[in-house]
This record gives sequence, structure tokens and C-alpha cells, in this order.
Amino acid sequence: MSQLRLVGDQPDDGRHGPPDSGTGHRPDERRAGVLGLPVVYQAHRPELVSGPEVDTLRRHTAWYGRPDPGTGTGTGPSGDLVAELDAVALAGRGGAHFAVARKWRSTASRDGGVVVANGAEGEPASAKDAALLQHRPHLVLDGLACAAAAVGATRTVLWLHEGASASHSAVSRALTERRSAGLRERVEVVTGPEHYLSGESSAVVRALSDGPALPAFRRVPATVSGIGGEPTLVHNVETLARVALVARGGRDGYRDTTLVTVVAEGRRTVLEVDPRSTVEQVVAVGGVAPQAVLLGGYGGTWLPWTAAAQLPLHHQALRDAGAGLGAGVVVPLPADACGVVETAGVLDYLARSSARQCGPCLFGLRAIADQLLELAQGEGGRGNLRRLRTFAAEVEGRGGCHHPDGAVRLLLSAVTTFEADLSAHSRHGRCLHRDDPFAAPVVLPVPALAGAR
Amino acid sequence: MTVARLRVDPVACDGIGMCAHVAPRLVGVDSWGFPIVDTALPKDRDLRHAEAAVASCPRGALFIEPGRPDGH
Repeated sequence: MSQLRLVGDQPDDGRHGPPDSGTGHRPDERRAGVLGLPVVYQAHRPELVSGPEVDTLRRHTAWYGRPDPGTGTGTGPSGDLVAELDAVALAGRGGAHFAVARKWRSTASRDGGVVVANGAEGEPASAKDAALLQHRPHLVLDGLACAAAAVGATRTVLWLHEGASASHSAVSRALTERRSAGLRERVEVVTGPEHYLSGESSAVVRALSDGPALPAFRRVPATVSGIGGEPTLVHNVETLARVALVARGGRDGYRDTTLVTVVAEGRRTVLEVDPRSTVEQVVAVGGVAPQAVLLGGYGGTWLPWTAAAQLPLHHQALRDAGAGLGAGVVVPLPADACGVVETAGVLDYLARSSARQCGPCLFGLRAIADQLLELAQGEGGRGNLRRLRTFAAEVEGRGGCHHPDGAVRLLLSAVTTFEADLSAHSRHGRCLHRDDPFAAPVVLPVPALAGAR
Repeated sequence: MTVARLRVDPVACDGIGMCAHVAPRLVGVDSWGFPIVDTALPKDRDLRHAEAAVASCPRGALFIEPGRPDGH
């Protein structure tokens, strides 16, 4: 992983602690997340995740510098945080990569309002939000305070999955410390059901308006009228941690990095990477190259390894290549695994994760998953491929949220990336990789849907 | 300049299908009987048909999104 250490431009002003030594890893292995897979945190950039293993407020302040006394907020050197966020082109890290400054401008003219730090990490493969909350709770809380101050919000909420006990206790500890230190802030920690869509932003707004934690169809954006009719900002926790960094150093002090979760060999590894790092550098598999890589998340995009290896892990660069950074999930598919089988398993999970509110999602995702499962099991034919294309076209863009769009994106990228596999499955009823595809362990973890309806 | 569009709130829609009967030219139906609706309404006649479809929906799921003068 030494090629990952693209840290040369890091200003060594002592504020960030000692530079990485040796391998550059500070592995801190623990079990977390819905899957109980081991998660390894490896910090390659000192902006967010490296430094002290777990923040106390004292260490946090020593490491990142002191925010405005008494509030935990800051506006950057210019005094105009929105302008600073604009200057660094900060984009949201929940998956959509929408410009933060633009989102704030659509709320900033209003009085009152709510800011929600969204730590409900629904992506089964992702662990970066949990890593951040457990290691840097103060940075997230600072960002929440900064956002609330900037848009004039009077209420701040942290939204978590109810099973996220490690994150919950890290944040509770941090809040207690902040109260003892005299910070004048009030953050409500609210938990919701642990399913794929409970972190979708309209679901968060609906849940915090005493509704179910399910996506809503909104004719008016939440930034205009959200929780209880108040203008509402919902930000991923990583986005808010970045806001806190910009609020301290402004545009000149900010170094853009990305938290990604790499899933390989049954482990999720959270890495903080420079935007110039390539997929190949981040995956860093020894020996045989993978055949393909899944980028973004389960509603993300497969790319053949040859197309993906040299791409930088930057949202715009990936978007230009027909993919996207999404929630920062990177899953290499080993050469001996079957992309059809893997994708079918994930599409089945996505179908089961439907909020069951919109017909095209409820029926369409099930139909898509069933067609692909048949092919995966060697029971389908070329008609399955034709029906998959028809269903994909019918489903896309027709949900109240983007859940079905993500499933269609995954499907269509699989059809392109695994063309040879699909051909073998559909024409000859056989798998290029396995005699009995479903006897093999799958690469992409799919959780049991206990909490998911 | 964008024109008005006939749209559907897919959460409210139960796929009853009245809209497709009332305004078949504006409303398609998918493999599962749910309306495919995202239709531009450039003419007065389209708008009248769309209004009839909106009025026919037992779930109140259809609506007309007004056109915007400046694109958007």
C-alpha cells in the first residue's frame, strides 16, 4: 500500500502530528456494522481519521485547533463559511455529491430550521461513517454546529441506526465532554430502524416529522419545507466533518480527501485517500488482478478492472467514466468469482429492501432480481436478458426516491461488464467460474433483513 | 421556458389505472399496471386531458407541474 501515501502535499506544521511511518498503517481492528465483519481503519491522510485513535475533546482541540470558544463553530478566515465551502467545492458524501454551498444557500435566507447529521449508514458494504463517528465524533459535532450557525437553524439532530451502539456511545461520550467544557449546544441523538433506506434523506425527514423512516415523494424540497415544515438540511456525517475542517482552515487550509470502504477477502477496510489516488492503488491486491470493481455502493456501478484500475477516486472523474463515487464503496471482484451471481444476490437484497411504497420499485425490482437469479442459477435463457432490459427501462426514474434507479444502474453496468458471463449463463446454462455458482461464497455481503420489513 | 407536465406521486399511486383510461394519450402503463407519467403538456388540449386525469385519480396521486418561465 506504500503507493497510497500521496501525502507529500500535506503541510507539516505540527498541527497534524507526526507523519506516517513505516507502512503508513495504523490498523485498528474491531467489529462493527450490520455484518459483523472485521473493519480495519487505515489512515493515509491526517485530515480526518488519523491522529489520536479516539478523540477526547482535549485531544481533538489539540489536533485540529480550537473552534470559536463556547460554540464549537467557526466560519473560516473570511468569516463567510458558505463562500469558503464554495471555494473548495465541497460536495456531500452521502452518495449524491451535491454541492454543499448550494444546498445551504437554498435554506440560508430563512429563519429557524433544522440541521440533521445523518449517520445511518444503510450501505451494507460501507463502514466509513461508523469509523468517523467512532474516531472523530467531535469533528462531526463541530460541523453540525457550524452548519446550524451558518444557516440560522435552531435545532440540531444526529440520526443513527438503532443498532449502531458503538457510534452511539462514542457520540454520547463526546456530547458529555462538550457539555462539561461549557459548549452551548443541544444535539438530539435520534435512532431509527436499521434498514437500507432509513438513511435516505427524505426518509430521515419523514421519520423526524413523526412518520415512518421511509422515503417520501417531495414536491417541495426539504431545504424549503422539511421537518415540521421547517427548512431542513440533511448532511452525511462525513460531509459535516469536512465542513468543520473548512470552518477552521478555510479554503487554503483544506485538503480534500475521501473516506472509502474497500471490501476484500471478507473485510471492510476504511481508508482516507487523496482524490488523485487510483482505484488500483486503493485496492492494492497482491498477485492476480481482479476482473472488475464495484464502485459507489450496491446501487453503484460495475466497471471492468482494465477500465477502472487507473481512474482516480474522485467523484467527477468517476462520473466521466460512467460510474460515480457514491457512498465511497470499492469492491474488487476476484478473477474466480462470478459477476452474474454476485449481482443477482445484491439485486435480490435491493428488491427485498424496497420500501414497498411505489409500484415500479415493489414489483419491478422483484421482477429484475428474479430474472437475474434464474440466469445466475443457469435456469434462464436469452429471454431473461430481453426482459431485464425491458424492466430496467420501465423502472428507472419512477420511484419516489432513487432506490430503484440505483438497482437499475447496478444491473445495466453488470450487463455490460459481465457480458461473457451472461452469455454463458443464458445460452449454455453454465457458469464460466463455478460448477455450482450458488455453492460458492459470495464476495458482496448481503445482510439478513431482520430490520428491513 | 419549460412547459407544464403531468406527473405522478408514485408513493400515493396504487396503480388503479383510472388515469390511463381517461387520458390514454398522456398516460402509459407498465408491466405491473402502474401509470408511466411524466408527460409534457404543450397544448391547451393536452392540459384539458391532464386535468381530467388528475380529477379521475381516486388516490389524488396525479398532479400538474406548472411550466417555468426561465427553464430552471
